[in-house]
Amino acid sequence: MKEAGNILRVLKETKRLLEEGNSHELKKLSDKTIRSATITQDADNVIVAVLVYSLGKIIEREHYREMEGWKEFYGSITKNLSQATQCLEKDNVKTCRVYLGKIRNSLNKISGNLSRYIKDIFKKAEINKAFKLYEHGLSSEKTAEILGISLWDLASYIGQSSLSDASISISMPVSKRIKIAEDIFG
Amino acid sequence: MKYLIFDSGPIISLTMNGLLPMIEKLKEVFDGEFIITPSVKSEVIDRPMKIKKYKLEAIQIKNLLDKGIFKLSTKIVPDNKLDQEIKKILKTTNGVIRTKQTGEKIKIIHEGEAACLAFSNLCGADNVIIIDERTTRLLTEAPQNLEKLMERKLHVELDPELSLLKDFRKYKFIRSAELVYIAYKKDLIGIKKDKQLLDALLYGVKFKGSAISSKEIEAIKRMV
Repeated sequence: MKEAGNILRVLKETKRLLEEGNSHELKKLSDKTIRSATITQDADNVIVAVLVYSLGKIIEREHYREMEGWKEFYGSITKNLSQATQCLEKDNVKTCRVYLGKIRNSLNKISGNLSRYIKDIFKKAEINKAFKLYEHGLSSEKTAEILGISLWDLASYIGQSSLSDASISISMPVSKRIKIAEDIFG
Repeated sequence: MKYLIFDSGPIISLTMNGLLPMIEKLKEVFDGEFIITPSVKSEVIDRPMKIKKYKLEAIQIKNLLDKGIFKLSTKIVPDNKLDQEIKKILKTTNGVIRTKQTGEKIKIIHEGEAACLAFSNLCGADNVIIIDERTTRLLTEAPQNLEKLMERKLHVELDPELSLLKDFRKYKFIRSAELVYIAYKKDLIGIKKDKQLLDALLYGVKFKGSAISSKEIEAIKRMV
């Protein structure tokens, strides 16, 4: 863990925002974390960014709170976030990772649709964060490697990036590139 | 001999658009080889072969490799030589962009993309790299744009050493968008040629990962 201090701050902030039910700020916090992750490429930073973004999405959907298994899942989030924070305060990085992992694993213990919906949120959060890394300037393959996802999953997201339309992303006039293609095909 | 060196992105984009037959037809009119490196093979065949969602696509691409439409770079440049060159390229490219405050280097490109550049360096023949993702092209064609983009997005000041890239301006890149344009012009799509088809082809590859702007697409359409 390259940035234990930063991650500790993020976890504390996450717990507070979660208690306040502030999904908007949680997503902003995730964005900040992914900016650090672009530079450090620290796996823990990426995991935390995905977790925080997912929690923002989960609490945004208020109807989840009425669903079977919500109490158990929410209990697992708060308990494991607290324990992960305490571990990091004692520089126990390894156990901190275990508690963070338990949040996602707790989904396997709840039955019904909620587990499926939230697993889907986590999956989509991974792609969303990968897309952010790409938008921040990393190459698509570097991004896929950091998030451990497939380039195939990333392709459609990259296609939607508004950055492709920005003039800063254009490094050569299209007519010149067409000429290169025509020349090589004779 | 000439080589068209494929990165993973264009193969994925063309496959997802059902355009693999177009690659076969393009190969028939191309006086050279369509190359994939081992890391590209891993990303477009070996890895998706283990993912049920993409297994069919992987089999279709493997079929093109088996038929000789794609040729593995190993047959032209030995893997150990390619690996050495990849390491050199990664050392340079991943040392260019640093943060001003901490001097931390940002690793921006990956082995797969570096392998395309490495093969281009070692093949000893006329070649063009087909790559859809923006970062590798920006890094070599307009590194100052990449620096600006990253500063804007990361909200940190960067201290790039762009002089490291002076030998990187030699690469020639196209995207899957330019490839479908060539196929369209040569009437290799297998559908009656009209402007709607070209529009659909270009936006098809854009929405499956080709970093091309809508303005560029409109410019290409005006060239016909």
